[in-house]
Amino acid sequence: MDSLPRLAVNQAGDTTSVSGLGSVLWWRRAWVKIGGTWTKVSDRATPAVTAIMAVVPFVALILIGVFLFKEAFPAIKVNGVNFLTHSKWSVGSEYANPIKKSGVSIPVGATYGAWPLVLGTLEASVLALIVAVPVSILSALVVVEKLSSRVSHWVGACLEILVGIPSVIYGLWGALTLGPFLSHHLGWVASHVPNVPILRFFRGPTYNGEGLLTAGVVLGIMIIPIVASTSRDLMRQVPQSLKDGGRALGMTDSEIALKIVWPWVKSGVVGATFLGLGRALGETMAVLMTSGAVLGTTAHSIFSNMNTIAATIVSQLDSAQTDGTGFAVRSLAELGCLLILITLVCNVGAKLLLRRFGTTTVAGATIAANE
Amino acid sequence: MSHKADTIQQRANNSRRSRVDKVMWALCYGGLLTIVVPIVWIIYQVVARALPHISMSVFTTNTIGNGGGLRQAILGTVILLIMVGTMAGVTGVGAGIYISQFAPKRVGGILRGAIEILAGVPSIVAGFVGYITLVIELHWSFSIWAASFVLAAIVVPYIAKTTEISLRGVPLAMRESGQALGLADSLVLRKILLKSASPGIVTGLILALAISVGETAPLLYTAGWSTTNPTFSLSHSPVGYLTYPIWTFYDYPIKSASYLALESAMILIMLVIGLIVVSHVLRRILSKHLPE
Amino acid sequence: MDISTRAKLKDRPSGPQGALSDLVASDSKAVSVKKITGKFKSKTIIQGIDLDIADGSITAIVGPSGCGKSTFLRSINRMNDRIPGWSLEGEISVFGQDIYGPDTDLLSLRRRVGMVFQRPNPFPMSIEENISCGIKAHHLAPRSHIKEIVRARLEEVGLWKAVSGRLKESPFQLSGGQQQLLCLARALAVQPEILLLDEPTSSLDPISTQQVEELLREFVPELTIVIVTHNLAQAKRVADSVAFFMNGTLVEFGTATEIFEDPRFPETKRYISGSFG
Repeated sequence: MDSLPRLAVNQAGDTTSVSGLGSVLWWRRAWVKIGGTWTKVSDRATPAVTAIMAVVPFVALILIGVFLFKEAFPAIKVNGVNFLTHSKWSVGSEYANPIKKSGVSIPVGATYGAWPLVLGTLEASVLALIVAVPVSILSALVVVEKLSSRVSHWVGACLEILVGIPSVIYGLWGALTLGPFLSHHLGWVASHVPNVPILRFFRGPTYNGEGLLTAGVVLGIMIIPIVASTSRDLMRQVPQSLKDGGRALGMTDSEIALKIVWPWVKSGVVGATFLGLGRALGETMAVLMTSGAVLGTTAHSIFSNMNTIAATIVSQLDSAQTDGTGFAVRSLAELGCLLILITLVCNVGAKLLLRRFGTTTVAGATIAANE
Repeated sequence: MSHKADTIQQRANNSRRSRVDKVMWALCYGGLLTIVVPIVWIIYQVVARALPHISMSVFTTNTIGNGGGLRQAILGTVILLIMVGTMAGVTGVGAGIYISQFAPKRVGGILRGAIEILAGVPSIVAGFVGYITLVIELHWSFSIWAASFVLAAIVVPYIAKTTEISLRGVPLAMRESGQALGLADSLVLRKILLKSASPGIVTGLILALAISVGETAPLLYTAGWSTTNPTFSLSHSPVGYLTYPIWTFYDYPIKSASYLALESAMILIMLVIGLIVVSHVLRRILSKHLPE
Repeated sequence: MDISTRAKLKDRPSGPQGALSDLVASDSKAVSVKKITGKFKSKTIIQGIDLDIADGSITAIVGPSGCGKSTFLRSINRMNDRIPGWSLEGEISVFGQDIYGPDTDLLSLRRRVGMVFQRPNPFPMSIEENISCGIKAHHLAPRSHIKEIVRARLEEVGLWKAVSGRLKESPFQLSGGQQQLLCLARALAVQPEILLLDEPTSSLDPISTQQVEELLREFVPELTIVIVTHNLAQAKRVADSVAFFMNGTLVEFGTATEIFEDPRFPETKRYISGSFG
């Protein structure tokens, strides 16, 4: 201990320590200059450098919006309201000379009506919600109220795997396994449902399983992690004291869940549903591979082939390039605008509903450091 | 006042309530099962179909037409991962730091809003815009650059958001005691804030990598497809990646093609599960000195 | 005061001569507060506070909650600077140097004026690094000495025995009291001249509280201590002088005996006797 330069506090007035302190001060002086200026530079630079990085996503968003709209604008002008109400999607003639319409040159016979796509997107997404929301709420409830932290950790890992499985693999599973499975087991039901309004929608040939039902179920499974993990986080925020209070009154666990937990999280779970909807609306590959990707018709039954906006963009981009006027690509850009708009509404809705909760999940993965 | 026992009606009521309770929790466990079954089913159907045919040649030979191996696609995926991880990682973490630490309230709100909207932009739309701007307008053609930019734009919000959330979760007291000790701001940020937030940041980074590994639609029109090994030229040179054979070959009537699809799917699943395992291990290591 | 004078001669970084002149000028005042008024946006939190804290003493700041005592404490090492909307008028000098003046180095000020907070808040690093990080950041000692300094500081706060075997482990497995002692050791490790304590024992059990209080008495007069506390008994036990705050103003400032035995102002009297608070 004597060889050590003594520092501060408890060695007051000790003469030997003064020389020891001298050596310490020497170190300090030598370093403060270098260290001092360096520190100042990095202190100043960090906010500036990170500010530049923070602007990048903002700029990326603006660029995506601007370029998409710029590309779509002539199509919006030409297609007008028909884009939303008509059903026919046709690139037109490649060989005839293009004609001028509203100052934009388009191939003869080109018509773009996205109504079946809009309807298909909504149908598939709603079906997905019907699959995902109950499952998500129930499992979130059991994770929060019943399972040990170890088991719920594993459930969390399962949700992460569901997020991580690529969309094409869901598509592969839907097309090769789930579709044929549903078609095989529901075929009899589908052909025996009475041909009356409403129920008629559940009647029809099931083919090889490609269609609305398979696409909806696959989408539903894909959005489970988002809805479930968000709901779980919300339910964890319910104060234990409230639940204890209920228990002390002799309420059963399910009564506590329904009368205490549920009212607390209700609006947040609706927000989580919107988050899931936003994801389902924009999902591409899984739908493309399981829906039958038919153009121009709306689904007659839950088993019919259908198509969505996102799937159409990717499946039609190739053939759109045969249009020398570029109008087909512009119409796809218009589809993109439409899709962004719908998902934006969904996400803003989710944001508003979730605002007062402050969740810690991002796309189904739990982030909170203390988990 | 004498002690009152439950009446018969009350007892009947109680037993009905406990039955309802049991039914409801049975339903809840059923919900849990609905999460686990698809995972097992999806993984099983891919592995069971791919495993009998998979061999080392998948890793050592390139795709030839609709057969052969997947070496170039694996390499391409790895290169894209590295590019995206660097581009989106640096930007996303930086953005998260700025928004949580330095941004004035209003600026932070705007940037955070932009990041949330960007996260909601469907990946196919990002890919489409990447195609009409980077591939066509800038004449980069199908290339690593185009693909990395588009993928980075898709995943950067996740990284920024997770970084921001994790940094905001660090208690103010911890930061203040660093400042009270006279530590420079950059030191407090590095040693205390980023360290506390590191498990969350790593989770976000790996989530972003897992998402980019699995993207297909935006890559079809930015990376193209190639059956030769990736070159060092970042533009004007299409690149192979693992999701392409799945989408292209899954319904081919030729056996070698559908095997290629299944093998890609299996490698992808392994890759994703591997990434998730790594993220959990890292999270555990990084939380070593953190509060419970 | 002669012991503390010698301690000052030794500790003053500007060298003995400067230190001496400082001492003469500041008349043995560690902290000198002149007419400070602190506002958060338009709301006045502390107003017109005039206060000199003697070198080498323990000063307790007491008062009802919300009276601005913590805010006042945080002004002494400029911890309020970062709070948006905060503004401060008046002058605070530490050993004669105006700390809000243009040539004050914030980092070295904070090194000289240490602070321990209400709740124990170890850094997310090993026990050893918790203490060494400040030493390294301020380059207070050559690397080879750091291990011994860590040990010395831990011994000073009486924590060495408990943690010597697990220096590389997480500080969060220690008990709350031990964590607070670690924070104290961490603050001491950067050789502060003044230590500010913001209700340091309010989240601790009685035994740990006693431990901390005994330590504080050992640290003077080499160190000047300012402690905010809502615990009057604690103020009585540890403090040399006591400042009584109410509604953002300093009502009365005197020796502990004066304040507790013979307060001049009726508010002080009522507060001391427990009629409000």
